[in-house]
This record gives sequence, C-alpha cells and structure tokens, in this order.
Amino acid sequence: MLFRKNDKNTTVSDGKFLARARKNDRLAAWLINTGGFLVILSVTSILVLIMKVAIPLFLSPEATVVSTIKPGGSAPTGEIKGMGVDDELRTGFLLDASGTVTFFDRRTGREIHKITITPPGGGSPTIASASDSGGGRFDILWDDGSFTAMKVSFRSQETGGSDQPAIPAVETMLEEKGTGGGPRPLLSVARFADENSPLRVDLLPGNRFSLSKTTATSDLAGNETVRKVRTPFGDEVPGNVTAVALDTEGEYLYAGTDTGRLLRYDLTDPEAPRLLDSVEANTNGHAVTAVNLVLGDNSVAVADADGSLSTWFPVSETGLGSGKTLTRIHSLARHDGAVTVILPASRSKTIYSLDKAGVVSADHMTSERRLLEMRTAKPLVRFAVSGGDNGAIALDADGNITFWHIDNPHPEVSLKTLFAPVWYESYDKPAYVWQSSAASDDFEPKLSLTPLIFGTLKGTVYAMIFAVPLALLGAIYTSQFMGARLKKYVKPAIEIMAAIPSVVIGFLAGLWLAPLLDKAIVSFFLAFAVIPLCVMLSILIWRRIGSLPRLKRVAPGCEFLLLVPALLIGVYVSHALGGILEASLFAGDLKLWLFNTTGVRSDQRNSIIIAFALGLAVIPLIFTIAEDALSNVPKNLSAASLAIGASRWQTAWRVVLPSALPGIFSAIMIGFGRAVGETMIVLMATGNTPILDWSIFNGFRSLSANIAVEIPEAPVFGTLYRILFLSAVLLFVFTFIINTAAEVLRQKFRKKYGRF
Amino acid sequence: MGSFRKQGEPQVWGTAAALSITLLMVLTLLGVVMVNGLGFFWPSDTSLVTLKDGSRLLGEITSTEKATENHGKRIQFKVGNRDIYGQDFRWVDASEIRSTAYPDDAVTLERKERGNFYGFLKSLSLDRLRIPAGGTTWDDFLAARKSVDASRAKLRKSEKRMADLNSNAERLRLKVLKLSSADPVGNRAAIDSLNAKREKLLAEFNARLERLNDESAELNSHTAIFTDASGEEKEIPLTEIVRSYRPNTMGVFAKARFYAGKIRELLLDEPRESNTEGGLFPAIFGTVMMVLLMSVFSLPFGVVAAVYLREYAREGILVRLVRIAVNNLAGVPSIVYGVFGLGFFVYGIGSGIDQLFYPERLPTPTFGTGGILWASLTLALLTVPVVIVSTEEGLASVPKGLREGSLSLGATKFQTLTKVVIPMATPGIMTGLILAMARAAGEVAPLMIVGVVKLAPSLPIDGHFPFFHMDRKFMHLGFHIYDVGFQSPNVEAAKPMVFVTTLLLLAIVIAASSTAIHIRNKMKQKYTTKAF
Repeated sequence: MLFRKNDKNTTVSDGKFLARARKNDRLAAWLINTGGFLVILSVTSILVLIMKVAIPLFLSPEATVVSTIKPGGSAPTGEIKGMGVDDELRTGFLLDASGTVTFFDRRTGREIHKITITPPGGGSPTIASASDSGGGRFDILWDDGSFTAMKVSFRSQETGGSDQPAIPAVETMLEEKGTGGGPRPLLSVARFADENSPLRVDLLPGNRFSLSKTTATSDLAGNETVRKVRTPFGDEVPGNVTAVALDTEGEYLYAGTDTGRLLRYDLTDPEAPRLLDSVEANTNGHAVTAVNLVLGDNSVAVADADGSLSTWFPVSETGLGSGKTLTRIHSLARHDGAVTVILPASRSKTIYSLDKAGVVSADHMTSERRLLEMRTAKPLVRFAVSGGDNGAIALDADGNITFWHIDNPHPEVSLKTLFAPVWYESYDKPAYVWQSSAASDDFEPKLSLTPLIFGTLKGTVYAMIFAVPLALLGAIYTSQFMGARLKKYVKPAIEIMAAIPSVVIGFLAGLWLAPLLDKAIVSFFLAFAVIPLCVMLSILIWRRIGSLPRLKRVAPGCEFLLLVPALLIGVYVSHALGGILEASLFAGDLKLWLFNTTGVRSDQRNSIIIAFALGLAVIPLIFTIAEDALSNVPKNLSAASLAIGASRWQTAWRVVLPSALPGIFSAIMIGFGRAVGETMIVLMATGNTPILDWSIFNGFRSLSANIAVEIPEAPVFGTLYRILFLSAVLLFVFTFIINTAAEVLRQKFRKKYGRF
Repeated sequence: MGSFRKQGEPQVWGTAAALSITLLMVLTLLGVVMVNGLGFFWPSDTSLVTLKDGSRLLGEITSTEKATENHGKRIQFKVGNRDIYGQDFRWVDASEIRSTAYPDDAVTLERKERGNFYGFLKSLSLDRLRIPAGGTTWDDFLAARKSVDASRAKLRKSEKRMADLNSNAERLRLKVLKLSSADPVGNRAAIDSLNAKREKLLAEFNARLERLNDESAELNSHTAIFTDASGEEKEIPLTEIVRSYRPNTMGVFAKARFYAGKIRELLLDEPRESNTEGGLFPAIFGTVMMVLLMSVFSLPFGVVAAVYLREYAREGILVRLVRIAVNNLAGVPSIVYGVFGLGFFVYGIGSGIDQLFYPERLPTPTFGTGGILWASLTLALLTVPVVIVSTEEGLASVPKGLREGSLSLGATKFQTLTKVVIPMATPGIMTGLILAMARAAGEVAPLMIVGVVKLAPSLPIDGHFPFFHMDRKFMHLGFHIYDVGFQSPNVEAAKPMVFVTTLLLLAIVIAASSTAIHIRNKMKQKYTTKAF
C-alpha cells in the first residue's frame, strides 16, 4: 500500500522514486531535528528572556564624561559662586562673584549668552554667598547686605526643530535691600511656597537666625497691604553653625554645628520659630559640614568632617506620646574627607555629595547604595545636577568644566530593599512593605518582595494542608480498594475536575463561598468535629448491618458512596449547631467577638477561602499522579502480601504505599508548584493586601497575583516593570526546582518498576 | 470488633471519606453553577406586595433568608427601576407584608440602559406612527414596538454603512500619513488625490449622520407611559425597550419560548450595560478565535517536538534533560508566560514590527500593544508542553513491530512516520490538542497581560480590509467572569450574568476535556498490553 504509486511505474522510475524518497527522508530528518531542537530551545529560552528584563535592576549606574571644556576668551572673572546645566545637557552656566551668569555650549565651550544681575541696592557689590536651592534657583547675598533670589531657566525654541539649544533666561524672584542697621548676614535663603508671601531665613554672625516673611493681601477694593514679619531666633545654638538647609515649603529649618549637633526648627509660625530637636549627629563630635533635604522634604541628609554621610527624619518615640525626634535612619557610604556640599536629585531619593578630596559621589537613600563616583584629574571644587537627574556638571581646581551623562534608572533597588526590612520615611521602624506607587512624585517606593513571597507561601501552605490529605487518601482508596467498575467513572471524573478553569473556582470562592462562610464561620470549625463523628457513626452502623447476608457484598469497593449520606448529615448538623453555638457563646457574631477579645481582624476573603479554592485546584493534580504511582506498583507485591494473610489495609499501607512513596512525593511537589503559581484564584478570593501575618482570618498578596494587579499600570522598562519581571523569574525558578526534583523522583520510580 | 480494627477497616473507610468529600465538593461546585446559571433566564412571576405601612412594591422574589433580629424571614425583591429607586434590590421582613398579589397586567421591561423596569402600562404617545387600530393598550403597545423595531433595524443598516465609510476614511488617512512621512514632496499628487477621496467619504458620512440623527430623533419620540407600584409615572421611549413581557400571564410554554429567546440573545448578541446584560457573542467569538489561532501555532510545534524527541533524537543525557525541561514547562505558572509574552512578543517583536511597518502611526502602537495574535502565541507556548507530552504518549503506544515492519519493507523513516506512526498516534495528538484547547479556553491570567479587554469595540474578523485584524484586542469568557464579577460597580446585579458565563465556559471546557479523556482511554485500551 505504501508503494502503490511505485507499482504502476516501470523499474526505470523506481530508482528515481527511491532517490526522491530518500531525499525527502533526509530533508524531513533535518527539518524535524532542527525544528524539534528549535522548539526546545525557544521554550527553554523563556527564562533567559525574562531574566534579561530583570537584570538591569542590579547593574551599576553609569556616569560617562560627555565633554570637558575650559571656557576661553570671555571666561567669567572672579570666584565662581554657582553653576548649573540644562535638562538636555546642552548648555552649562556659571555664576561669578560679580553677579554675571555666563552660558556656554557644552561641546565647544563657546559663550552663548551672558546675563548680569543687577544688585537691588545699586552700585557694584560682589556676591558674598550664593546658595543652590535646586532647580536652577540661587539665593544670592551681596556684600552690601542686599539680597536677590533668582532662577535660571531654559525655554526651548519654538521654531527650528529639536536640535536648537534652549534659550536661557534669568528671572528675579525677590529683591531686598540691605536693612542698613545690624550686621550683614552670612547666608540667606528664600522660599516661595506661597507666591504672595516669600519667606527668607538669614544666618547672622554670632550663630543667630532671622526669619522674615512678607505677606501681601489685597482687600475687596484691590488695595494691597503688605505685612512684613521679622523674627530673630536661635539663642540656644550649641557651637557655631556650619551648615543650614531649609525645606521647599519653608516650614522646617535644619542646621548643623561644629560641635556635631543637628538642629531642627519649626518655622510654621513666622512670629515664633521653635527649636524642635537638637541631637548629636555623630558620637565623636565631628563638625557637621553639610546639610540638605532629600527629595520629598521628609529626610535630611547630613555629612560631617569625618566624611560620614547619613540621612535623618523625625520618628515618634515609643512611650512618649506624639513627640517626634530626629533619628539617624540610613548610614550611607563614607567619604574619604570632609563633605562640603550635598545636593539632592530631583526625581529620586538620590543624594549627590562632594568631599574635600574633590570627588562627587551619588548615594541612594533607601537602598543605601553608593551608586557612582565622579572624579577628574584635578579635584572638583563645585558641582550641580541637572533637573532631569540625567547629568551633572562640575568645576575643578584648574577651572576646567566637565559634563557627565548619568544613567541611573533603578537606584532604589538593591537586594536589601527587595528582601530585607527597610526603614521607610515616616515609618517608626524598619519594615517589609510593598507599596509600589502613590499619588505624588516624591514618594519613596516600597518594593519589598518579602511580603509577597510570604503571601505566596502562606496560601500554598494552607492549600496543601487542605488538599494533600484529601488527595492522597482519595488516591489510596481509588487505587487500592475501589471496585474496578466504579473506578472507570471516578478517575475520569477527577481528571475532568483538573480541567475546571481557575477563574471559575476563583469566582465561586470569592463571590459565593466567601459570603456564605462569613455567615457560618462557627459551623465551619464545628464541621471538623461533627463530620468525622458522623463518618465514625456511619462506619459503626455499617459494621453492624454490613454482616447481614443481603448487604455483605455491598460495602467493599463502594464505601465512599455509602459515606455520602453521613457527610451530608454532618454538614447539616454542623450548620444547625453553628448558629446556636454562635448565638450562645460568641454573642451572635464570632468575628466581632474575635476582634474584641483577641484583636484579630477577619476579612471576608481570607485564607480559609483560599485553602478551599486553591486546594480544590490542586487536589486533582496530586490525586492523578499519586493514583498512577500507587496503581503502578507491581500487582505481584500486593498479591504476595494478601496471600500471606495481610488484610487489604495492611497491604496498602505497609506494602504498596512504601513502594510508591517517590511517586507520591513527586505528586505533592507538583501540586505545590501549581499552588505557588496560581494567579486567578488568589487574585479573586483574597483581599490582595500585602501583609505579613499567618492568621487564617486575613488574606495576603501572592507574587503571581501581584504581577497580574500591577503590570498593566507599570511603565515599560521602569523599576516596577522590571521588579515584576524579577518576581516572574523567582516564580519560574521556584517552580522549576520543585518540578525538576519531582521529575527526577518520578523517573527513579519508573526505573525501579521498569514502566510508567 | 477487634479484628475489624486490627485489619484496618476503619482506615479504609477513612480514605473512602476523603474521596467522598472531594467528589462532593466538585458536585457542589458544579451544582451551584448549574442552578444559578440555568435559572437566571427563567422569567419569574412579578409579585405586587402591599406592606403594613400601606406602601406597595412590585418585583421578583430573588432570595429568602432568616432575619437576624426577630425570628421571622427576610425576603429579597428585585424591584428594578434603578433610575427611580437608586438600587435594584430591596430586603423586606416577611412580618411587614400585609398581602401579596400577582396582577396580570404587571409588565417587566428589559431596557437598553439602567436595568429592568417593573410597572404597569398606562398609555402610549405615538405621533405619526401607524399601527393597526383597535385592541387594548397592551396590544397597541406590542404593535408599536414591532414597528419601531423594524425601523430601528433599518437604521442599523445605515449605521453599518456609516461604519464602513468611517473605516475607509481612516484607512485613507493612514495612507496619507504613510506617504507624507516617507516623502511629502514627491508624493504630493498622490496625497492630494487621497485627501480628496477622503473628503468625499467624510462628506457622505456627515450627510448620512445628519439623516440618521433626524430619523432616530423621530423614533425616540414614540414613548409609552408606565406607572410603578407606588403610582409614579415614567415615560419610556420605545427604542429604549429591548424586551417587554407580562410574566404573570405567561404559561410554561410561553416561558420556555422566552427562555429560548434569552439563550439565543446570550449566544448571538452584543453585551449591554457594561457587560452585565445582553449577550456574550464577542466574548465567545474572541475565545474561540484565540483558541483556534493558538492551535495553529501549538499543534505543529508540539507534534514536531514530540516526533523529534521520540523518533529522531538519540536517547541520552540531552534528551533526558530536554524531557525534564518540557515536563517542567508544563508546571511553570501561567502568569510567567504572560509576563514573557508581554516582554518578548508585545514590547519586543510587536514594537519592532511597528517601527518597521507602521512608523506613521507611532506613537500609537499597532502591534506594540496586547492583541489577539500575541495572546494566541503566548497561550501556544503555554500549551506546547501539553501537546508534546500527549503526542509522545501517542507515539510511544504505537507498537515497535509496526515500525519495524514498515522499515523492513523498504520504507524510509519519514515514510514510516507519516504513513504508519502518525496515523496510529492521531488519537494521542488529538487528545493533546483538545487538552491544550481546554486549557487555553480556561486560562485568564496571562491573557490579562497580553491583550484581553473588558469591551472590544470590534471583532478581530470583520468585513474591512484586511479582514483578519491580528492586532486587535479581544474579549474572552474567562476574563469576562473576572471583570464582571469583580470589577463592575454593581456586583450584586451582575452576579447572575457571571454565573451564566461561568456555566458556558465550564460546559465548553468540560465537554472538551471529557472528549479528550475518552479518546485517550480508548487509545490506551487499544494499544497497551496488560502486563499483569
């Protein structure tokens, strides 16, 4: 039949045909070999590909020098008081002591533009101090005591395409003449939280501060009244103030002293500033050399003469009511020398700091990672960071200017932030928290995978506690004691159960079982006592009547059917008793009683529901594999056991079960693997709250459900996106290990009995 | 008694109890789905209840439970009329009810929006609508509805034509975009002619839109006035009414006809009211198409891999490792496949395709976002191990003698494979395919990431060029369950619909997998020689 075509032809074409067949064969062999190999390759490359997305999380950030220039010709005269760079890293600027801002091209060093700030008091004073308030804002104190707050901005050109450099501009935000009387301040800082009422803080000689706030109000007629408050404060400063920082709202002032103390003032009431904290910044009395706020204004970064860098925020003291004390939270990597400047990044909780040795370092507050170090041949003396967190500009001792492009996409991630407890802002102690996003941009992402891994394990463990006994005992019964006729129906029934989509189980668990169990929680616990009791009673009854001649042949092989009435009665009795018991013992509401007496909060969608639902999903899997293993134990073993007089239970328990043990372990492991990765059931039947709590009355959030919940909102290639890929890698690796172990066990088992 | 215990009979009964519990749980699950799913469409009588305080309510009894405060019963009514009462359901203590009646003229309306209306027909306001004279108000109402429905069907045709026009215009727009992004000067003439064509299409579209608006405004002016249980009047345009019936006058046969009509609507119509009412057609279509598309990818690859493993690869450490890997992949969580599909297909290949072939549409992604193609590929990957394992089993069950017979007759390996081995292993392959399809139909988690949406504006296949739109997002029965059951604002009102969807999905999956299991068991009986 195979060669029908051949029969009709002459022997001449025979050879041709065979040649073609052989050619086809070789071609097919090649195709199938490569095809098969490709399938295997592509399927196994899944892990590689998802890992590829996750790995950049752990790569070190990079700072690459894009250009080094020496401004020629019209180089700024005098001492440089400030500098900056635009977001595209095209234009840099320098502010010199005469108040001239010089803009120059990054590539050529050519001067593009020059703007001179006019001092409010007239004349030609020089700048006494200029402090970088971030975002191109500089607060300039002239040596005649007058003050200018200005902002450098870059406006992109509307015509000419995106290649054109932005047009620089300088905007003056506040001008104040010197007061005449009194000493000239050492340093002045202004804040514009409210457009109409700028706030200015001066550091005066003699370690005193002065706060002035101008409030402009206009009445109905449009008449403006300007009220100016000026309050001196700071009598209690211990030592000399060496560093000052003010938050963006102008509410809290931080100061460091040469005796190593860190002070925090509350300026919310401009007429009565209060000293809130005065703490020791370090134990050995090193002078505080630089202080600045970290993005979000919750934490303050503090550096001292010793080169140590740390961040602090107020934490409520336990047992002292609502009082909060400034506390050292994160100790970052040390510098070799005293730190002179600290600048915060504007998009993340990264802190840039420059030390005496002339090295700029970037550290991330939450992850405590030293992200990168920027240095040049000559020590750096001054630096600034771009508004987009993508670059930096620095000036060295020789007057060379260097531009860096900074690639720092995932500074907040480290093994520590993913798995260890982290002390997050406004928390009272280090904790494992998963909270990936919030409304504001300056939010500190909390990306601990620990609660998710915990949740995964919690759900799996409870499900296994429920599923393993039922599945294994059921498998033992089906393989060893059940009649062949019934087995033909029961086995496929359980296999079909394996096909029930998890979304169906999840839906029923979440919307049908959860409200039902919520009302009958006492009955549920009661059922653990009542149902075994009913089963035992029913066994006793069958023991009595089973010996009757007519019923003698009924029981063996279909005990499970005879027990159904007992189970139904058990369910009914526990339901009836549960209501009565709840009314009499727990004042009609167990949940309320639990909360009042033990403080255990209970959710409607809790771990009991998950145990049921997830258990139901893994039972058929465990059952099928275990049943196969038990059935495949050679019949001659059990036959021999029965022949020497062992009972059917003894044979099953002592002979068959030990032989099938590897297969049964493999069944449990595969069930475990399935439960770990199950998504829909967990998503639908728990509250998805990422908490660390073993209580069966709460829900949890698992790794898989977390991926399903968060990935639609995660920006592509952002930190969250990559972390979700990392959780997928974890799931993959975890199930891979478990399944491989199970598979190896199963292969061993097959080898032992020579077939499968 | 002693020997009974010693022989371990109680333990045997204990294992039996475990099995019974498992089976009972499955039966309960199926039972709950069946009862809730099948019962939903049966029209229940509308009861007019007069309470002790004199107020009246009209609605269907949906459930009864024990009241917590006193020892009486609490009855839940579905009172509908969401636009008047604010909510669909109302609980009433049985002790508060003075009397219950089942008036014949109680009308139930299914509306396009805002759920059911329960009330009584009062009068009609039908200007310029010609209906056969005479008869009761109810007869007139029915006749008017018929005529309105007929006009509406005509309007729908016009709407369809407009959709065609719109899609043609859109295609022209994209063409213009493509041409002008490639070479705006050189293609000037082509661009201008395309633009002119597009203008013409848009003009026709606008003309039709105006006409359509006029006509539908006229249709909407035909209204009926109903009163609710408390006598409050409500004017409802006939076009708003999907179905109207008087359940208390219906006999069993009328109800059965009604039931059949509802099933027809379920299977063939579009969903309404954010998926909580109406039909499931797009979801069924999406599920079926996704599964078929998945089979196209997963079957050949799975079979080739299995043939390679079983027939071509030399047994050794590599094949053993590969087999472990395949078995393992069957156990990898489905969400991981979803993540892979997102990272590799959607953002990897999809973005690449967009940059190569659809640069003019960027930044709006075409293939660089979830869609039916990527969903099918992801699920194909997920189900390949199922096909491989099952095909291998099928290949293994072909007796060695047959292969050797064929080879000894001079057939090549490939001929033996295609003419002898594969035909005999077909049941195994079929089993694998069906199991894979059942798995794919029920899988939701990966789909949520790579292309399923709650409401797709259009099907992946339609009459517009190029007919198969592989980049489109689609609806899926399983996701429908999750979405309607857990994300809709009115879960209580949506629940029955979810049960119906669940029943449908469960029926499909169970039918598929029982067929597969049946085929496999047949195959096993045919080829395995019993060792003992």
